[in-house]
Parts: sequence; structure tokens; C-alpha cells
Amino acid sequence: MKCEICGRRAESRFCELHRKAEENLREKYEEWKKAMDICWEDYLREVLKNPMTGLWVKEVARVLLASPEGKEASSTQKKV
Amino acid sequence: MTQGLGGKTILILCEKPDAAARLAKALNEAGKVREKRLNGVPYYESSRNGDRLIIISALGHLYTVAPKIEDRDVYPVFDFYWAPRYKVERNSGQTRKWIEAISKLSKDAQEYVLATDYDIEGATIGYTVLKYACGGKDAEAKRMKFSTLTADELRKSYEEMLPHIEFSTAEAGMCRHLIDALYGINLSRAMTTAAKRWSGRYATISTGRVQGPTLKFLVEREKEINTFVPTPYWTVKALIQIGGSTYEAEYEKKAIWNLEEANSIVKACSGKLGTVTRVDVRKTKQKPPTPFDLSSLQTEAYSLFKYTPRRTSNIAERLYLEALISYPRTSSQKLPPAIGYRNILEALGRHPSYKGLTSDLLERGDLVPNEGAKSDPAHPAIYPTGNMPERVLSEPERRLWDLIVRRFMAVFGEPAIRQSVKVTVEIGGHLFYLRGRQIVEEGWMRFYKPYVRFEDVLLPQIEEGEKVKVEGVVREDKFTKPPPRYNPSSLLKRMEKEGIGTKATRADIIETLYKRGYISGESIVVSNLGFDVIEILSGYCPQVISVDFTRDLEEKMEMIQIGSEKMESVVNRAIRHLKPVLEALKSRETEIGKALSESIRKTRMDERTVGQCPVCGTGKLLILRSRRTKKRFIGCTNFFEGLCKASFPLPQKGTLKPLRKNCKLCGWPLIQVRSRGRRPWNLCFNPECPSKERVKQG
Repeated sequence: MKCEICGRRAESRFCELHRKAEENLREKYEEWKKAMDICWEDYLREVLKNPMTGLWVKEVARVLLASPEGKEASSTQKKV
Repeated sequence: MTQGLGGKTILILCEKPDAAARLAKALNEAGKVREKRLNGVPYYESSRNGDRLIIISALGHLYTVAPKIEDRDVYPVFDFYWAPRYKVERNSGQTRKWIEAISKLSKDAQEYVLATDYDIEGATIGYTVLKYACGGKDAEAKRMKFSTLTADELRKSYEEMLPHIEFSTAEAGMCRHLIDALYGINLSRAMTTAAKRWSGRYATISTGRVQGPTLKFLVEREKEINTFVPTPYWTVKALIQIGGSTYEAEYEKKAIWNLEEANSIVKACSGKLGTVTRVDVRKTKQKPPTPFDLSSLQTEAYSLFKYTPRRTSNIAERLYLEALISYPRTSSQKLPPAIGYRNILEALGRHPSYKGLTSDLLERGDLVPNEGAKSDPAHPAIYPTGNMPERVLSEPERRLWDLIVRRFMAVFGEPAIRQSVKVTVEIGGHLFYLRGRQIVEEGWMRFYKPYVRFEDVLLPQIEEGEKVKVEGVVREDKFTKPPPRYNPSSLLKRMEKEGIGTKATRADIIETLYKRGYISGESIVVSNLGFDVIEILSGYCPQVISVDFTRDLEEKMEMIQIGSEKMESVVNRAIRHLKPVLEALKSRETEIGKALSESIRKTRMDERTVGQCPVCGTGKLLILRSRRTKKRFIGCTNFFEGLCKASFPLPQKGTLKPLRKNCKLCGWPLIQVRSRGRRPWNLCFNPECPSKERVKQG
């Protein structure tokens, strides 16, 4: 299987590098929610436009924003 | 050849031609030193104590470790030998003349003296030349030991020479070369061959015992940066008016992790008057800096002048060869009294810029340097010899010499006294701090002034209980930052901290990473190829990029130097470690070759990609070469689909590098052009760019 973003070898949707970026992205959402009132989609947009955000995180955020799967995940997280 | 009157002919071997010239001049007692040439190789004839001295230099290493199997596609190879460099290395043809000249001159000598740098490389160079070029004279050669090339020290070193060369240091040096070759040649051959067999194209992919772990540090940092998600936080500042000026006071908590909390602080403080509840004044002593060892000099020169460690090392080497500073490849931060502090300071006082400063120091009774913890058995810390330049120094040489001179003076200075003031202001039940700082006694800073980085922040006179007007309270939106990228200087520091490489090799290893295309930029970015090399090594043979193993080998090699370990056992241990690694690489050659080839392809493509096509907006602009005219130009990838015909001419000379930046005037991507003898320049290839108009209008 190949990474959806970079084409590297992957065991699931993303390669190890992008998977780590995705993991950080989801983890940090918890901190953002504690800091302010923000929904998943807005969070992804904020992260995307932030110059401090890592390149792979931005690539993952872009994919998540575009995919219905990502949006579904976001709505579940919103409910949580 | 004739001998001195009743005396012997003594062959003295130096490391570099400049050192040979200086040594010949210093030791000569009669007449003028004669520079002679043998097949174009310079050597000098001097006379001393009735002996005829033949002084010749090597040209760095004249011999190197080479595998017995030369075919670059074959690995593993464990049989190595010491070969003349011209036989096994490209572009080393010159070393042949040197070896032949030394060999010929050594035949007339009755005694041999080694006068190469007194360190591991100097011992190795000397040992191999004496053994192979002079026909096994290593056992009978004597040794000169010196830390500066000043005439006095060279003469003293000659009169008090050591009875034999330092065999254990040479053994440690040879062991290092052998182990580096074992790792470097085998691992690089494994990876290069794998890629070549898969793609049919040759590209050098190198790694090594120190290179691998160093690249791994960079890859780990790159991963942290690329997977970094910033977290928001807020700071609150109060603008306080005192005596007609406004000062910024920071809130007691440096970071507030919740927006609502930040807003409520601002609300609670706005429109309130402040009360000074406390004024703390603290004085601290700041000790003088320690003398420079090579790595602290490299760090300082990078932070002040942006010189890479390699550049600093090269400049320092030139200053040493000019007898302006002591031997720079030292780990010592100590200055023994034997170097003669007073004589050096008196000599430096001849320079108008240092006159006042040196006389201040010389007036003191005792001169005690503030030494650091690190020591080096072979050399003291770097210090100026007191000699004045015999030629006009280049700007980088002058800067580095001045830095070393001022640092030398500063280490004898008094501590500086620094005063910090912290004023606590209470506003609406919240505490804010106003901070000031000032140097009240310069001490050593007076000597090191242009290089001291300290900015005074002065606060007005303020008393406890005083009421102050608050102009406003503001919230600032902030985000956490990713860890900083390494630069050549911070990477070198990390290598030193981890105990990998030596002071002589670290800067070169960093340069190799650049040369191989694994990293780029001053603020270091790892390329796809660099990533993949580390991914492959971590996947298939993590032991070869293990810092622990590399450090352990370094320690074992140091033990050889002090005589508590043998070269043979260290080499065998390295082979036992390496064998299974190479077997694993070989068994998965196809997989590795595929991954590397793909990575090389991507890297090459990246190097040619200029940016998004501004004409069609969807294609990418590439640097291409016309099959018909063989000329370089920029073309769009959409050309092949018949969608975009954008193409732009390029300079045909020099190397081109996409800058990944856009022109400030037209927004098109920029290219950097580098050609020999010219400063690199940035090119905007947009024919309609307003910058072109400016040029036309002059």
C-alpha cells in the first residue's frame, strides 16, 4: 500500500511520517479545545494557515479537510 | 649531495609546505635558507649545529587506507592496506611527486625528525611517510613537539626533541582510518550498488560510521518540525507610564493557555491604576569567558560572522601557519603559564588597537586566566602568539585573529557586574513585572567589547508604594514554536556532546552531508534522499546509525592512544559488528535499490523544479536542456500535454538553483546563479518583470 500523500510505503492510508503527523494533529485538537471554543473543521483551517505548522501536518490537514471521511471523523469528535 | 662540516644530514618532515618554510628559517644558523625543488616539490636546506637539515613537507595525508578489491560493485570487503593516495584516489596525482621526492631525499639522511602537527592526524601522516616512503625509518625517527610556529618555540622544540615518535597515537590514527574505511566503503558500496542495479544509473550514495548518526540527528529534528502542531496561548502586557515614558510590564504568568482567562485578566486590569509593591535589585557576577578550544571558536565565529565550522577551521589553520596563533585543532580550554602571558601581551601591545588594553592587563601583579574544564594532552587552548601579521590579512583572517586576540585578553579580565531590576506592579488584583538590566562594571567585557552581546534595558528611579498610570492592558495571541533547525554550528555542538567524530573530522562530515545532497541551507533542511537513506538504514540495519555504538568505538580508539587497547581487537570488533549488517543489506538489495532509486529520482526532480508555472497556473516549471541546441531553458510540464508553451531562456554558464522564493516585484519564482569568481546572484526570468525596466532605465 502507498501513502495517499507522498507515495511512500504505508500500512494504512498514510506512511509512517504522515501517520505521525495525523496523530499529532488529533492529539493537539484536545489542547485547542481546552484553549478556546473551536470545531474540528475550523481547527484544521487554523492549523493550515499557521506558519508554525509542520509541512506534513499541513498535507494531512488538507487531505482531511477535503475528504468526507475526515469530516465524519470531525463530527464524531465534535459530539465528544 | 654534500654534508655539513663533519655533521650529519637530518631529514625533517613537516605536514604542510608553509610549516616547512617557517621551520627552515627558524632553525637555520648560517646564511640564507635555500629553497630548492625536486621535480617541482619544494624543500629547504638549513644548517644548525654543524648539521645539514633537509626540511620537506608532506601534503596532508600521502597514504590512505584502500580495499584490496578495487571493484566498486563488490562488498563486503574486509581486507585493506595502506596505499599511496595517487594510486587509489582521483585528483591525488600530485602526491606521487611528493612521495618520490621524500623518498629520494631520505636516502641521503642519517637522522630523521618528525615535525608534523602534534596530534592524531599529524602522527598518522608522519608514521606512514616514515614507514612507506622513507623505507621503515619510523622506529628511529625523533619527534619535535610544538604548539606554535614562532621561531623561538621551533628552535626550543628542536633542541629538546623527543627520542621517538608517538607510536600509540599513530596506531590510534591508523585504526580510525581503517574503521572509517570499513564502514564507509562497505555501506556506501552496498547502497550505491543496490541503487545502480535497480535503476541502471550510477549515483554515489554514501554513509559512514559518523556520517550516519549525524544525519540521523537531522532527520529526527526534521520529523519533529514537520509533524509539529502549534498550540495557541496568550500573553498579557500592561503599558505603564513613568516619568513621561511608557514601559511594557509582563503578566506574572508567562503563558496563559485559555483565551477566556486571558480576556478576564485584561478586563480586570483595564482602566485601573497600578501600585508598585516591590522593587528587587540584584547584582550578579559574570565570569570572564574561557579560552577558545576549536569547537568554541567555531561556535563563536558562526554566531558572530556566520562562518561555517569548516571555514573557521581553515582560516584558523592559515593563521597558525603564519605563526599568528597557536595550533587550533585543540580540545583544551587551558592556558599554561609556560606560554608566557606577559611576553604575548607585551608583543600584542605593539598593535595600536590593543595597546591600551594590554597595558591595563600588564599593570596587574598576577595574570590568572579563567580556564575551562576541557583539556588536551597535546596542545593548550588557542592563543595569539604575539607576532604581528607579515602580510595584509584578508577580512575573514583579520576578524578571526582579532577575535582570538580579544578573547585571550578577556580571559585575564575581572568579572563583569550585572545589575537586574524587577519591579512588581499590582493592577486590579493582578501582578505585572517590569524588568531592567544593566552592566555596572565592565570587567572583562572591556577587552571583548565588539563581541559582547548584551543590551542594557534601563528603568527610571521608582519606589515601593508609588502609584503608576496604566495606559492600557493588552492581550497578545501567540503560538508554540517548533524546535529550531540545526545550523552547521549547532550540529557540530551536538556531535561533540554525543561524543562522535573528532575535532578534526566533524566539520568535514557536515560538509559531506551537503555535498551528497542529503541536506541543504544554512538553517539545515533534510532532502528526500537524506530521509530515505536514514529510513533504509533504520529499517534494515539500525545498528550502523546507533550513536551508542559510534561513541563506544570512539572511546576504544582513544584507549589505543593511551596504550590500554590494541588496534587489532578494535578492528575485529568492528568487523564482527559490520558483517551481519552487510549480509542483511545484501539479502534485501532489490528492495533497498528500488527505494533509493525512487528517492534519487525525486531529489533530482526537486533540484530542477523552479516552481508553479505563472502562465498556465497548473503546470510546474522545470530547468530543461534542449536536445537540439543543448542549451538550458525553463519549460512548463504542461507542454507535453499541449496545454502550455511557456519557456524562458537561462544563462548558460554557472550552476542554477531554484530559490523557492518569489520575486518581490512580480511574484514569479527566482533562480540563483552561481559562477566561478562571481558572487551568486538571483535571477527573475520573467521578461516583463518591473526589475528589467529598472535595469533598462539605468
